[in-house]
Amino acid sequence: MKNSEIVIKTENVTKIYSDNGIPVHALRGVDLTIHKGEFTAIVGPSGSGKTTLLNIISGLDMPTEGRVWLNNKLISEMSGKELSDFRRDHIGFIFQAYNLIPVLTVEENVEYIMLLQGVPKEERHKRVVEILKEVGLEGFEHRFPTQLSGGQQQRVAIARAMVANPSLILADEPTANLDSQTGSALLDKMRELNERTGMTFVFSTHDQMIMERAKRLVVLKDGHIEKDLWKE
Amino acid sequence: MLVFWKMAWRNLFRNKRRTLIAGTAIGIGLASLIFVDALILGMEANMVSSATGTFLGEGQIHRKGYRETQEVELTINQYETVVQSLKQERIVRHFTSRVYSFAMISSPANLTAITLVGVQPRREKYLSEVDESLRKGRYLSPDGDREILIGSKLADILEVGLGDRVVVTVAQAQSGNLQQEMFRVSGIFQMNIPEMDRGLAFVEIRKAQKMFGLDSTAVHEIALKFIEPSLGRDKNLPFWQKYSQYGNEAIGWPKIIPELEAAFNLSDFSIWVTGLILFGVVALGIVNTLFMSLHERMFEFGVLRAIGTRPFQTLILVVFEAVALGIISVVLGNILGFAVTYITSLVGIDYTGIEFAGVTIRKILYPVMQVRQFIYYPFWVFILTSLVGLYPAVYAARMSPVEAMRKSL
Repeated sequence: MKNSEIVIKTENVTKIYSDNGIPVHALRGVDLTIHKGEFTAIVGPSGSGKTTLLNIISGLDMPTEGRVWLNNKLISEMSGKELSDFRRDHIGFIFQAYNLIPVLTVEENVEYIMLLQGVPKEERHKRVVEILKEVGLEGFEHRFPTQLSGGQQQRVAIARAMVANPSLILADEPTANLDSQTGSALLDKMRELNERTGMTFVFSTHDQMIMERAKRLVVLKDGHIEKDLWKE
Repeated sequence: MLVFWKMAWRNLFRNKRRTLIAGTAIGIGLASLIFVDALILGMEANMVSSATGTFLGEGQIHRKGYRETQEVELTINQYETVVQSLKQERIVRHFTSRVYSFAMISSPANLTAITLVGVQPRREKYLSEVDESLRKGRYLSPDGDREILIGSKLADILEVGLGDRVVVTVAQAQSGNLQQEMFRVSGIFQMNIPEMDRGLAFVEIRKAQKMFGLDSTAVHEIALKFIEPSLGRDKNLPFWQKYSQYGNEAIGWPKIIPELEAAFNLSDFSIWVTGLILFGVVALGIVNTLFMSLHERMFEFGVLRAIGTRPFQTLILVVFEAVALGIISVVLGNILGFAVTYITSLVGIDYTGIEFAGVTIRKILYPVMQVRQFIYYPFWVFILTSLVGLYPAVYAARMSPVEAMRKSL
């Protein structure tokens, strides 16, 4: 795995927040490299910097110091529009909950990114049908998110994240609002997709189920990498 | 773009009550503008009708200088030529000739100063409302040599009634000799305009000309009505130039009653000010509604930005929401504006007796509806709504996805 293509590379990434004028070091010189096809979990206690690191490697936030490459592109050199387009084309996001657009149906939610990409209607429809079948949501196309269970909503989120074939999927506590059975089934699905498609998954979590399934565990503590464990 | 339009409409109806309240508030503002415009048009028409229809006419011809000095000698030049020409005018519906002089009127009980007006009884009926304002007695007859019409207040001052004798004294033209004539009160009018009810008396024109020492072609004023009342306000009407020759002057009612024209200009200004205030209130309402909606959906906007929605596309989404709100508001405002204006244009508003800009409103006021009101004001409300939407839209577009999603990531 380590010899494959690099998807994410961070170099001495530091993030300092100001909390009422008091500087807070969220990240302290993080060096991290993630290769294509990894199924990595960034773990650590609350306040360890997991969320900040995920924000920075997705280009949603900028580091105070250090550099980040996504698919060999330095994100600090990208404009807001370029970053938006880059996230749209290369990153799939799965958040804790409430991450679907409530006014769009399941089908519209899943095809939203392809609409932004300008994918033709027929192609969009074909891919939506395929991906919904993949996540077991056939027949739910015209339902709105409020008409779905939590597990079903997360499966739509996974479908949306994967439908445009991004090189990286970032998942922030994707099982936090799910019961263990639903969460476990979803993780199995993601792991299976990882194995089958070679898509890279990076999780931010302290869920034991994710840690058990992850191929690599990056343990953060007080803003720096304390351990980097490979299971394979 | 279609997906953002779809999302904007659906977002707007996520909180139906708030959208309805905001749309109604903006709609009420629009309806108010439509109604105020119609009311002012109605008031203008009413006041012009009251001012010109009561006595003055929509246009007048005098000898130059007469209006300023009121000298009895200053009669219209080439009167017969002017009259012959007026008879040929297609735009003139009616005209009548008048002579005026200051006079003293006395009864056994009292005496007072008045303006004595000599009129052509038959023609005068079409120009003024003296005949319609008669409360007692009858109108002047063409050969009523001793008949005089006086106002109700003048009758009170003189303590006279129908058939009573009064003596009128005038100074004759050229010589200045005093000339007295005895009349019998044949009619008492009440126009509800104090100056007229107290200070005017009407006699047949030939009698007045004799008293004033004028010949039968000596006339101080020709008052006229056009086939279309708006012609009286048209400064560029060739008519004015045509009849402002031979040393005469032809003027429309805005020059006869300049205070009325000034009041109309003030009304136009008032509607602008009203419009600005209403637009301001409406603008704040829109911004408030959109910001409330925006803050409720911060996380959602964060997700939209995170998954690849460009800042400009986020801006478009919020602007579309403003546009959709504008459409709803304009529809509601037009319906409300039409209903209120239409009903009041049928029922009318009773302002009779109220004096404004020197004119006493004598008729029920009916707001005047025009198609323009339902296009012009809604158009501007719609444009304003869309423009005002730019403020929250720019805010949303510049919002950091991380800040918006802080609760989650």
